[in-house]
Amino acid sequence: MLTRSQFEIACKAFIATHSTVVPHSPAAEALQGWSWNEHPSVPGLGFMSRTAIHYWRTRSISTDPLPIADDLEEAFSEEDEASTTSASETLRSQQYVVYSATFQVPAFYFTVHDSQGIPLSLSDLVRTSLFHPFAFEQTNSTTFGLTRPSSSFPLLSQGDHPILGTPSWYLHPCETATSVNEIMAELHRDDWSEEQRLVRWLETWFMIVGTAVNCRL
Amino acid sequence: MPIVQFTPFSSLIQPAFWHELTNLKIDVLRLSDDALPVSGSYSTGRSVVDRESGNEIALGCNLSVGSESFDKDYKAPAGSIPVSGTFKNFNTIEDFKAADKTALFNQEAEKIWDHILKTRNTALLSHFLLITYADLKKYKYYYWFAFPAFVSKPAWEIAEDGWRDATDQFSSEALSSIHTQFHSHPSPLPFFLVRSDSNGTSIAPVESYATFFESTPPSSQTIAFVDPSANPTNPGWPLRNLLAYLRALYPETTSTVRVLCWRDAELHQSTWKSRFGVLEAGGVSSNGGGRPSAVGWEKNPQGKLGPRVADLAPMMDPTMLANQAVDLNLKLMRWRILPALDLEKISSTKCLLLGAGTLGCYVARTLMGWGVRTITFVDSSHVSFSNPVRQPLFEFEDCLHGGKPKAACAADRLKKVYPGINATGHMLSIPMPGHPVPSASVAQTKADVEKLEALIAEHDAIFLLMDSRESRWLPTVIGAAKGKIVLNAALGFDTFLVMRHGARGSSVPAGGSRLGCYYCNDIVAPSDSLTDRTLDQQCTVTRPGLAPIAASTTVELLASLLQHPDGIHAPAPPINVDPRNDASQSDDSTGSVLGLVPHQLRGFLAQFRNMHIVGAAYDRCTGCSETVLQTYEKEGFEMMLKAFNDPKYLPALTGLDKLYDEGEAALESVDWDEEDGDEDF
Repeated sequence: MLTRSQFEIACKAFIATHSTVVPHSPAAEALQGWSWNEHPSVPGLGFMSRTAIHYWRTRSISTDPLPIADDLEEAFSEEDEASTTSASETLRSQQYVVYSATFQVPAFYFTVHDSQGIPLSLSDLVRTSLFHPFAFEQTNSTTFGLTRPSSSFPLLSQGDHPILGTPSWYLHPCETATSVNEIMAELHRDDWSEEQRLVRWLETWFMIVGTAVNCRL
Repeated sequence: MPIVQFTPFSSLIQPAFWHELTNLKIDVLRLSDDALPVSGSYSTGRSVVDRESGNEIALGCNLSVGSESFDKDYKAPAGSIPVSGTFKNFNTIEDFKAADKTALFNQEAEKIWDHILKTRNTALLSHFLLITYADLKKYKYYYWFAFPAFVSKPAWEIAEDGWRDATDQFSSEALSSIHTQFHSHPSPLPFFLVRSDSNGTSIAPVESYATFFESTPPSSQTIAFVDPSANPTNPGWPLRNLLAYLRALYPETTSTVRVLCWRDAELHQSTWKSRFGVLEAGGVSSNGGGRPSAVGWEKNPQGKLGPRVADLAPMMDPTMLANQAVDLNLKLMRWRILPALDLEKISSTKCLLLGAGTLGCYVARTLMGWGVRTITFVDSSHVSFSNPVRQPLFEFEDCLHGGKPKAACAADRLKKVYPGINATGHMLSIPMPGHPVPSASVAQTKADVEKLEALIAEHDAIFLLMDSRESRWLPTVIGAAKGKIVLNAALGFDTFLVMRHGARGSSVPAGGSRLGCYYCNDIVAPSDSLTDRTLDQQCTVTRPGLAPIAASTTVELLASLLQHPDGIHAPAPPINVDPRNDASQSDDSTGSVLGLVPHQLRGFLAQFRNMHIVGAAYDRCTGCSETVLQTYEKEGFEMMLKAFNDPKYLPALTGLDKLYDEGEAALESVDWDEEDGDEDF
């Protein structure tokens, strides 16, 4: 568990560690691109945020009913041999690492919206690259199933961002501390400074979060 | 040589943009449809490696707008290229449809072209047009982007060796040098020149074309642009107007152009992503110096030309938000606790609540908790001053002026709790056996019976939540005849009965045992229990906590029954199953995913104890025996009327009277063993 001031120290040291040049790898991406935000008026309520790019993991435009305006289609056409069809739809994920005062651990908050600016619903959310496909392995029969029965996957919930007050999704932090501490106990080295320990703590936390969602940038 | 094909811009809208547009429309624009400046941005294209397939996926060539897009001093996000645009919002959907799109488009294309010729500046090359109509009541935004690009005739062609890695042409050092110079430039350069000579590699804005390339041989001149496309063989849209710009201003030296598609925003990535290609103008321009035609309306997701609609109702409309939230909460149960739970089966069950009193209120609230969307109340009384404290759907105000009709009031209150619910209330008094119908009221009684029949037919589960015994008879008969799920809850002072009625005898598969109804254990027919009773006997005088316990138990019994594969035919758990021994419940073949589906539960609040009871169906039952049901189906209201008027009718019909006589006779001939003093529940 972390206190709020340890959380802030950990985040700032973590950002400093990972903003320098590091090799390009999916695992490293989880740790990159974060920046520190202060609460607009209250000191000490800061959080980390970043924007990540995602795409539809399973979705074909031809079969999905998208809101279109059939009657609005234009009669004119543009003859243009010099353009291609557009590439895959870009989804943007706004991600936050916020301190959970209740559980005294960081909590992962996020939103995903499509290119029209529409925040995705739960059923769409699970079809984006933010979620691992294996999350559905044994729950194919139901519409919702983000977890394999055996995994200690944190529950996904909907709630307001604790600092910004905007609607978000978050991974429930109730099981985080146990998992992180378990791993930290294995990793622990006596020669770590307090700051190094906190950074490792946060990195381990990201690793746990990474079992649930794809933390690519 | 192949024609160069460009990846069009695709719009990428951040949700906050719609909020800003809404504010702008309400507070500033109001009815104005004047064109306004708007800003957007793009950055280098991104591709991602799909974890499953390992394929490289090129993401859209995005032009992004956000909340800051209407700011006068717009600042693009770090590393992005700002672009200006023209924004026009229409007041009505008709105006939006009827707008002369071609004229609007050409106006912007003209603006870009004039700007090139007059200022020799690249600032407007990626200028765009956005037209919108905001349906603020329905939270729907119609919009259409256009990214005017000049068409080159003949089209640009790419030299034989095609698009290649930039590293084929530039050393890693040269690219690093470009990266450093690019980032040290005071303002981001969407388009720039690259020159390689003995002093190394240097870059400059495109506007300095003439001077910068003055003494550079063509083979060392490169035109570069920040490329929002990530597609290896298709450069992004901004290159089109850059080429048009060069052809317009420097026609002599630009029939062959060496192009660097700059895609390396970040240096820490191990491989360079930028592309390089040599383009040929493919002949003399055919438009003789005039403005080339332009294309660039964004296609909709179906690949057709037409506006898009962003439907934000699911996130903005409070009613829809509540709808999603209600479901989410329930769906979470499935994630871990009960993956096999079929929520739709519960939420789609239409529930008829006979009685909107203490039990009715609590049953309705618990049903809502399960996501049940159709709840109908039937009650014949008005809200009275004693009700609100025990009946959570009523308030003090509801009791004033004689009191609101309870059924309608309860339904309204459910809608207040959750607007998405389909709740209705019917003022209806349920005729009862042993309560004779005066001849003047026969027509009204007939109408009441018909209404009840219709209501029962429309619903899937019928809850008997009245405060008298005999009022349950009519819905018991109709419910059994129509094969509905009938649930029954009754309260004593500190005891309750919650039960489900068994399926109709004729529908029970051969060999199956049939569970009883409320009346199966009776050897007397229901009759008037209300007349000549004192106040405390007429009203339900119970411990206040009993009703919510019984009500919740009833609803949960329904939930368990619905989840049982046999539904209404679910057998009762064997009597010897100890409900406290809950470890084996889910494995038990008699259970549903939610556990056991008991027939009857008797609760004893004095001992805080519940008991399972199984009551077999009785073939002389006045409520559910085939004799009664078939007579009802044959005679309809006539049979009902006889039952209401004549207390002896039902016993005679079912043969209970004979049984009674036999019983009396037997009683006289038997010496009772007085020690057998078990409770007679």
